[in-house]
Amino acid sequence: MTYFPEEVVEHIVDFLGSHGDRNAVSTVCKAWYQVDRLSRRSVFVGNCYAIRPERVVTRFPEMKSLTVKGKPHFADFNLVPYDWGGFAQPWIEAVARGCPGLEELRLKRMVVTDDDLELLARSFPNFKSLVLVSCEGFSSDGLAAIATYCRGLRELDLQENEVEDHGRQWLSCFPDSCTSLVSLNFACLKGEVNASALERLVARCPNLRSLKLNHSISVESLNKILARAPHLVDLGTGSFTIDNRSETYRRLINSFFKCKSLRSLSGFWDASPFCLQAVYPVCTNLTVLNLSYAPAIQSADLTKLIGLCFKLQKLWVLDCIGDKGLAVVASTCKELQELRVFPSDIYGAGITAVTEEGLVAISSGCPKLNSLLYFCYQMTNSALTTVAKNCPHFTRFRLCILEPEKPDPVTNQPLDEGFGAIVRSCKNLRRLSVSGLLTDQVFLYIGMYAERLEMLSIAFAGDSDKGMVYVLNGCKNLRKLEIRDCPFGDAALLKDVAKYETMRSLWMSSCDVTLGGCKALAAKMPRLNVEIINENDGTCESKENLSDLHKVEKMYFYRTVAGPRNDAPDFVWTL
Amino acid sequence: MELELGLALPGSDRTPELGVHGEKRASLCRKRGVDEMLGKATLPLFIRKDNDEDGDDDSRQSKHLQELNFSGSRVLVGWPPVKMWRRKSDDCGRRRANCVKVNMEGVAIGRKVDLCLHDSYQALFLTLGQMFPKKQHDGEESDAAYYKVTYEDEDGDWMLVGDVPWELSVLKHKHKKAK
Repeated sequence: MTYFPEEVVEHIVDFLGSHGDRNAVSTVCKAWYQVDRLSRRSVFVGNCYAIRPERVVTRFPEMKSLTVKGKPHFADFNLVPYDWGGFAQPWIEAVARGCPGLEELRLKRMVVTDDDLELLARSFPNFKSLVLVSCEGFSSDGLAAIATYCRGLRELDLQENEVEDHGRQWLSCFPDSCTSLVSLNFACLKGEVNASALERLVARCPNLRSLKLNHSISVESLNKILARAPHLVDLGTGSFTIDNRSETYRRLINSFFKCKSLRSLSGFWDASPFCLQAVYPVCTNLTVLNLSYAPAIQSADLTKLIGLCFKLQKLWVLDCIGDKGLAVVASTCKELQELRVFPSDIYGAGITAVTEEGLVAISSGCPKLNSLLYFCYQMTNSALTTVAKNCPHFTRFRLCILEPEKPDPVTNQPLDEGFGAIVRSCKNLRRLSVSGLLTDQVFLYIGMYAERLEMLSIAFAGDSDKGMVYVLNGCKNLRKLEIRDCPFGDAALLKDVAKYETMRSLWMSSCDVTLGGCKALAAKMPRLNVEIINENDGTCESKENLSDLHKVEKMYFYRTVAGPRNDAPDFVWTL
Repeated sequence: MELELGLALPGSDRTPELGVHGEKRASLCRKRGVDEMLGKATLPLFIRKDNDEDGDDDSRQSKHLQELNFSGSRVLVGWPPVKMWRRKSDDCGRRRANCVKVNMEGVAIGRKVDLCLHDSYQALFLTLGQMFPKKQHDGEESDAAYYKVTYEDEDGDWMLVGDVPWELSVLKHKHKKAK
């Protein structure tokens, strides 16, 4: 190999954007490892227990941006007990000691305390951006610390976190000297936020481009904010209950007329049907629209609005839009790339409003569609085959038929062929969630065709161990596999254990895996942490009394170089 | 002493068929038909683990976190796969849920009612009547008019529901009892 001086290698390596490419470079030889090590600015840790924080900090001393993820994905659906783990504290402490130049921290599904936030706020003089997604454990006190001590903060983005309201006027803690905010998102906060402090903050931050409010901010306040920040690109409204005969409403329309840069809209908490007209002035420029928090808006009003949004690329709606509404989307939104249709009636037995028809309409009208999350009442093989033909560019395809194990209602067959068509057609598919009645056959197809698949979610599917084996044998790029309520057992689990070191993690709950099987896995694979989550048996039976035949309710294992973790609660056994 | 527990509205004559953990596990392990899953007669006793006011959410006690909808039929844990945060947003509009615990005298298991979803006492009594079993008087079923609903006010006194206009009472009620 021709010799290149380090500076040249570093310069070349700098062009590499992705973490994967950087990681590959670092394995070439010691010299390249060093170059990457000292020049890496952005570090991604997909599983906080895969490596110790100190090791990351030592290896990448010039780190400016760190992303860490904690709990497994199924924690979003209440399948992981509250105190399972995923604590941010050791990470923030280690980085505070070793990388004081940190500018950006992104945490997902982790437990973050107010103390952690205070330590963060005080430890990094150049800190610019904090993004917390689906985290919990902190309160408005922690936010007050961030506001108070992070001089030069550019971004505070809180997405779907559980934040306790301690009544602290955290927003008022941004000092008058804070003029650097570019992005502020507090939509998930349940408590009151000081509206006048917010208005003053917006007024003194000329670079503010993204602002997402929570439900406590009134329309009157929104009017004042829009008057101060007509250059917003991304807006999440606050409370959107308006009387469309009022002065407030007229002023709101005027405000939106002036927002020439607005491209993305969300929020609409409490939106009443008539108030959507207020945003008509900005529709023709919108690329992102999220109406999924507005169940009171009827399909007719939704479609009138969407009918104006012909530049839309990303749309999140509730299923009350109906198949007819989706047909309007299909005929209007030719640029659509991402669609999410959420269920509006989670508990009731009422008929949900979208079926396979809506999806077929979308697929024929929106050929650029590459990302789908679709909750529906029913699906047919024929529809899926049509969708596969119309939209070969799917990278993410998540279909959730609300009733588990529901077959094709027309033919009464399983949906194996339909999903088979999807994986055959969509060569770039990276993420897939399947549902409905499915046999082992669908997994044969997935193993055969889904070569680029990285994440697969399975629920109430399959007939036997063969199904799981097809997937593990076939999907070369599989990183995350999560399974619930499927008849997969020890034979499947232990068939090819070497595979698991190529994956980030595997979750299995309510399957047929036994304690003995998990023990065997742990014994064969020392670099996996095999965790059994047993919420129920902690007090009554000691671990020794459980026989190896005992079926395990929840198993989660992940590859790691950090060894068993020391913060596991009682009900988590690491084998 | 082992307690055999079943979750069914009291007054129905389903007998609990589950024993200790091992037995229950075994029956869950083979592939279930949907009918079997959704039509099981008894369920382990659970504690609802959301905005509990008295905070007795010992995670050890809660077996499968299962939620009941208003008609009392069972819903699977974590299904449909919708983020918990989104469920909470959807439950009661964007207002905070004004959930109130209701216990009936002689009934071990209480229910929760969201006052936000009701606009009058009549509506509330209708819901309560559907949630709790009807009283038997001499072998005949009597209707909800025979119920007395009381609530505990801030002084700790038990007061009869209905004296104060509905709008005012929604703000104050925390705990109700039906007799």
